[in-house]
Amino acid sequence: MQEATFLILTALADGTQHGYGIIAEVQEISHGRVLLRAGTLYTALDRLRADGLIGVDREEIVEGRLRRYYRLTPEGTERLAAEAARLHANARAALTRLKPSGVLT
Amino acid sequence: MTDSSQLERGYRRVLACYPKAFRRDSGEEILAVLLATAGEGQRRVRLAEAADLIRGAVRMHFGMSRAPRPVRNAVRLMCLGAVLNLIVMVTILVTLGSVRPAFVHDFEASQWHTVMLALIIPVLASAPIGAGLWLWLAWANGRGYLWARLAFVALFGLLTTGLLISLSASLGEGILPPAPADLIATAVLWLVGLAAVVLISTETASRYYHQEPAHR
Repeated sequence: MQEATFLILTALADGTQHGYGIIAEVQEISHGRVLLRAGTLYTALDRLRADGLIGVDREEIVEGRLRRYYRLTPEGTERLAAEAARLHANARAALTRLKPSGVLT
Repeated sequence: MTDSSQLERGYRRVLACYPKAFRRDSGEEILAVLLATAGEGQRRVRLAEAADLIRGAVRMHFGMSRAPRPVRNAVRLMCLGAVLNLIVMVTILVTLGSVRPAFVHDFEASQWHTVMLALIIPVLASAPIGAGLWLWLAWANGRGYLWARLAFVALFGLLTTGLLISLSASLGEGILPPAPADLIATAVLWLVGLAAVVLISTETASRYYHQEPAHR
């Protein structure tokens, strides 16, 4: 799973979000490191919708503009959990092996 | 005209690059996000924004967002094949000098111009058409059209025949033996085609080609 995809799914893990909300959440989760642009975001959202990992929760019109809220599907939640567990296991293994070198503070 | 409406017009112009169906579904939504993320007093679409949107539009046109990984990789290879078609053409142009003396040695020098017209010029003229064909099939395969998969396999069949003819010509059976560089370039193109055929023939790809159009 690509990092941007992982972060988008993570942004939706604790509730629904609209496009701008996802961009802001991803920026916060990555501590400002990942700034999604609209073109990249909507290509990813289109793919995730086609794969059944996310779905449209509701639509609203705010100040005359369409705002569509997305949510994780059960399959999306499962995939995110599996990916998070995989990354966690890898990170734990790396940290364990780095411990003797003393580079970790 | 206000800054906002000028910027909106700019975004709409760039969004026009997206496929119509996608624009209908998500165009207004993306526009709202673009306007929300625009800088204070911004009047024009920034270069980075335009590049990102155009990249997204190209990916949408080539089905790169919805197609499964094997098809996406096959589409990339087909685009590479289009570029290689042009490289083959350039290789033929560059190696003309080495082909000509060999030909002149075996035949009448006066026949060179006839050969140029009859063999080489059609080859060179067909390269851009070939590149366009590879791109068109990349687009259609990305969109999951079953006919495009069959058409690409047929194209690969032609490519294989062309390579075999070049190989037999290089062994001295042809009228104009190709330069080694031409053969190598054609062989690379053939390998790219072979890899694309393998990818579009996988089970995952087959499921995609047999989906209802609304799901891809």
